[in-house]
Amino acid sequence: MRIVAVDPDACVACRDCEYACAFRQSGDFARSASHIRVNFYADERACVPLTCMHCEDAWCLAVCPAAAIDRDPGTGAVTIDATRCAGCKMCLLACPYGNIHFNAETGVSAKCDLCGGDPMCVRACISGALRYVDAEELADLRREVVDASLKRLLRLSKGVR
Amino acid sequence: MHVVIVGNGAAALSALESFRGHDRDSRVTLVSGEQGPAYSRVLLPYYLRRRLSRDGLFIRRADDYARLGAATEFGVRAEGVDPARRVLELADGRRLGFDRLLIATGSSPMRPPIPGLDGAGVHTLWTLDDAVRLDSVFREGARLVVLGSGFVALQAAWAARQRGLQVSVIELLDQILPRVLDPAAAQILSERLHACDVEVRTGTRAESVETDRGGRVRVSTSGGDRLPADAVIVATGARPNDQLLPECLEPDRPGIPVADTMETVVSGVYAAGDVTRGPTARGGPREIHALWPTAVEQGRVAGANLAGAGRSYGGSLSMNVTEMFDLTVASLGQFVEDEGDDVFEEHDRGGIRYMKIVTRAGVPLGAIAMGAPEGAVLLGRLRPFVRHRRALPDLPAFLAREDLDGRLAHRSAAKERTSCASLQ
Amino acid sequence: MQTGPEIRHSLCRMCDDRCGIDVHLEDGRIVDILGNKEHPWNRGRLCVKARAAVDMIYHPDRVLTPLKRTADGWEQIPLDQALDEIAGRLADVRDRYGARSIGVWKGEAIGFGQQETVARRFAHALGSPNYLSNDSMCYVGRYMGFTLVDGAWPIPDLENARCIVLWGANPPYAHPNMTQYITAARRKGATLVVVDPRMSAIARRADIHAQVRPGTDGALAWGLVRQFVEMDAYDKDFVEDHTIGFAKVVDYARTFTPEMVEAETGLPAATVKAMARMMADAAPRMAAYVGNGLEHHENGVGNIRAIAMIDGLLGALDREGGTLFKEPAPLRDLTLYDEMPLRHLSPLGTDRFPVLYDMRQECHTMTAMEAILSDEPYPLRALVMTGANPASTNPNSPKVLEALRSLDLLVVRDLFMTETTAVADYVLPAASFLERTELHAHAKHQIVSLTDKVVSWSDVQGEYDFWHDLAVRLGIGEYFPWEDETALNRWLLEPTGLSLETLEAHREGVEYSPPRVGRRRQAGFDTPSGKVEFASAYLKDLGYDELPVYHRPAYRREPDAARPFVLMTGARKLLYLHSRFRNIPRFRTAIPGPEVEMHPDDAAALGVADGDTIRLTSPIGAVDLPVKVVAENEILPGNLQVTHGWREANVNLVTHDDRFDPVSGFPLMKSIEVSVQKV
Repeated sequence: MRIVAVDPDACVACRDCEYACAFRQSGDFARSASHIRVNFYADERACVPLTCMHCEDAWCLAVCPAAAIDRDPGTGAVTIDATRCAGCKMCLLACPYGNIHFNAETGVSAKCDLCGGDPMCVRACISGALRYVDAEELADLRREVVDASLKRLLRLSKGVR
Repeated sequence: MHVVIVGNGAAALSALESFRGHDRDSRVTLVSGEQGPAYSRVLLPYYLRRRLSRDGLFIRRADDYARLGAATEFGVRAEGVDPARRVLELADGRRLGFDRLLIATGSSPMRPPIPGLDGAGVHTLWTLDDAVRLDSVFREGARLVVLGSGFVALQAAWAARQRGLQVSVIELLDQILPRVLDPAAAQILSERLHACDVEVRTGTRAESVETDRGGRVRVSTSGGDRLPADAVIVATGARPNDQLLPECLEPDRPGIPVADTMETVVSGVYAAGDVTRGPTARGGPREIHALWPTAVEQGRVAGANLAGAGRSYGGSLSMNVTEMFDLTVASLGQFVEDEGDDVFEEHDRGGIRYMKIVTRAGVPLGAIAMGAPEGAVLLGRLRPFVRHRRALPDLPAFLAREDLDGRLAHRSAAKERTSCASLQ
Repeated sequence: MQTGPEIRHSLCRMCDDRCGIDVHLEDGRIVDILGNKEHPWNRGRLCVKARAAVDMIYHPDRVLTPLKRTADGWEQIPLDQALDEIAGRLADVRDRYGARSIGVWKGEAIGFGQQETVARRFAHALGSPNYLSNDSMCYVGRYMGFTLVDGAWPIPDLENARCIVLWGANPPYAHPNMTQYITAARRKGATLVVVDPRMSAIARRADIHAQVRPGTDGALAWGLVRQFVEMDAYDKDFVEDHTIGFAKVVDYARTFTPEMVEAETGLPAATVKAMARMMADAAPRMAAYVGNGLEHHENGVGNIRAIAMIDGLLGALDREGGTLFKEPAPLRDLTLYDEMPLRHLSPLGTDRFPVLYDMRQECHTMTAMEAILSDEPYPLRALVMTGANPASTNPNSPKVLEALRSLDLLVVRDLFMTETTAVADYVLPAASFLERTELHAHAKHQIVSLTDKVVSWSDVQGEYDFWHDLAVRLGIGEYFPWEDETALNRWLLEPTGLSLETLEAHREGVEYSPPRVGRRRQAGFDTPSGKVEFASAYLKDLGYDELPVYHRPAYRREPDAARPFVLMTGARKLLYLHSRFRNIPRFRTAIPGPEVEMHPDDAAALGVADGDTIRLTSPIGAVDLPVKVVAENEILPGNLQVTHGWREANVNLVTHDDRFDPVSGFPLMKSIEVSVQKV
């Protein structure tokens, strides 16, 4: 399956992805409605996008007492059936990454569903930090990031010698 | 191989699915005293609150069992086990041979020793039948007395209040939700209950319950009051349904003790869910954790081991979350001060009214969050640290890093919606 | 065959990056806008501004009928009547004061390309040299700085660079999809240096964030030049073959030691050295891009010229991974500067800022305000503007309003009522970018594209139709012979050998000529000398510095104890562009209002916290704003930043329309001395 691969080394915390997701969820640009969130830590100049990884062994899916969470056969996304969700919030507590949110208006939990296979967060990611890729490509992408970091470190260390 | 699973709840279903992940071929029979397919016990109050339809309570379809290759024996109670012959005795006299057995029989509501609890106006909220019965009792203007103040009790109270009943809650101990909340959190919730016109009597014992000929009830309390009511719900806790195989039990201790593999002392017989006394994440003596997530976890391990996978359970971690009177109430692990050496407490962090995290040597042991649902998200982020006993040296920094402020600010700015308001 | 909702391809013009878009329609109405995956620039990615074009186009506040000011307020009138009346009044002004008393003003919101050239054509056809635009405050300072040195503003080859240096530029907000190219280079190991007094979004990813004091970039540039010379790290062959003035550069650079640069910019000497080594190490694959941040200072062009010299010194010019010289699209030119030069009529601002007219044929809008108010050097009595809102975006807004109010005729074409329409005599509905069809050239990819007219309104004219109809009424219709914008597009496109039909089939663009690297090295640079000009005889002749001599910002040279803070204005926000889009409710949800960014130390000293209101006062005026205390490393102590374009707190109440860069004429808007009081 394909997932939204996240590269904090490229993210600038512009929040385009949050607004694009919030818009899809709610028609508005309130960050609180977004399923992807980008934490920015000024001290470290760190930008960390977080979104559902659609875990192979998804604890939220297993633990839902309403059997409202399932895997989409087409996209492989772990999805919440809003018509079944009772709003008990067990999934909020179950997700170790904080990637499930509660929609107070509708009273149900909500999470990334990969937009049915064309994730809006990726379409709005102008830095390229988000990529919708085959899960098998992840290792290559990580290697690319590590290689680039090493190269840059080398160039930097030349700079400061 | 023939595997028999007794039960049709969280542990049993989780075990069945987990077993099939390892073994597609062996014969499986699932036995349940209730008529199937499975419904969700923890959602019964949502049905009473009209949040879910009756259909919405069912978490499996009839064909799900066939899809998982399990024969079903619904509506047949299992009466006993002959461990030597490896036979399960059914209430209709049939005997079911097994190679491996899982006892996932769950628990039943406790009946405190109060005279009159067998009266017609006295209910429990444990089964679908209970809920359907109560649904007809929940008439606007009717009076309800709830004995106990656990999750089931208070969710029943909330449902009743939302449907226009007058509700009193009687709790023996000095605070509500004694096993889920600390006194400070309980106080916040009590205030919300008061604000919603739910009468809460803590430190009060129900002495007796009388049902008159017309079905009206009176509850006599240790305070000397006699509370008239149309119905009483007894929700003072649960006890494991552990009598299927007495050989497994320790003297005078409820719950079937299990090893990390979820196997009982009887070889080839496993137990999972509310019925067990199992290992806990923090180590120490085995405990009964009659909680849905624990049942799912234990069922997974048991199911895998029924197939010979050799799994070991990391131990249960107390984990509670629900919404009551529009407050999200969540707790995790050990949140009592004296278990830790440091306590982090915060009030009114955005929509989170109260948050408390107890740590020992920098390791979070447990936490409580009340208010906005984001509290549950935060506790979820803490859960791996609690479960794996990982230190979080700078807790405030960790919380600050959880950039929930956008969400929380948004939430607190939103008009606070309460169930009492919705009644007006 | 297309099934389901209809999808039309076009280009986004919510900013000037013009990303490829797929416009989704249902029953003829736009329902969504997504990135066009075929477009070579954005490759399917699109910032969220683009999707909000739907909100803009169907906004309930759209001006969709002509409005005429009357004693009783705005009166809706038919388009023909509006054009008749406007033409009549323009004719009156022409008859009374001469044609040059009429100005034509093109704003950023309407775009560049043929909207600009058709407006210029109209002005000249009418006999007025006074074409005005946002370009007397944006882009041109950089265009000049680079063109004076290199003969053009070359395009950085970001994705192939080994070191990228951004000076006062924040692509994620200002040129969103440029960020992709920076990421692509960084994924190949390129280092990134961001020179900016603020930690902008892109500075979060910088290997070196060179947080210099506002307006001191030139000192850093000269410091780097000195290091390259010291390190013997410059490209001797290139300098020898292709540049003039190197010896003077070496001589002038001598005093810019890392220690001196540290004292002036605040950047540690060690960082100056590290930056120089990194750039030299990457050369010639060193790609620099300069943003608007350098333009609004009294030493803007000088600083930019100093930076531009570095490309030449490092041999990065006209090289892959360095900077590239693109060929412009061979479209026909609509302007009449060759056929009908009007310089003898003294275009406004030419006396004081001759380079602005020489290089860009731009009049100076701030001088135009003076002319309106003083009738000096001659009266300017009527303005016709499209997509411009100078009452918000020009410096010293009260004076702008006073000037516009005193005109005999102000006609404003726009999508919405603005601060500027408030003083107009006529407001005409302007077409948004999805309501007209026009040609666009993307120099980077050397492609030309044709946008699609997706939406129509009965009284909303495109630019060509408007100028055409007005010209006919004024008796200069002969200059506008094309039947409609499509006929015009066909005429403009002809020299490329491409047909409109080809462009209609390829909305993502068609290459007009293959990009070539090394052409300038062979054929010479497009400067007076044909060389890269470190020293400019042209400027020297006009009385300017021959070298890009570093002039210290006034707040450094003569600190004003009464105004101890340095205010920067105009940092771009993700969702807003100048004064536009504040009326899109979703954007307000995300970024609700104005604020002044402040260092925590300053906030502590002033005793203010987030949300407290402070008053900024400059010699021009004062503005009240809520405080936003940013992180310690996000802004320098003593510096403030306010984004412009907010109606409720217009920072142009304090910006200078009396202090300029001497070459470009750009106003002082990014290193303003202000005092701060808690309100």
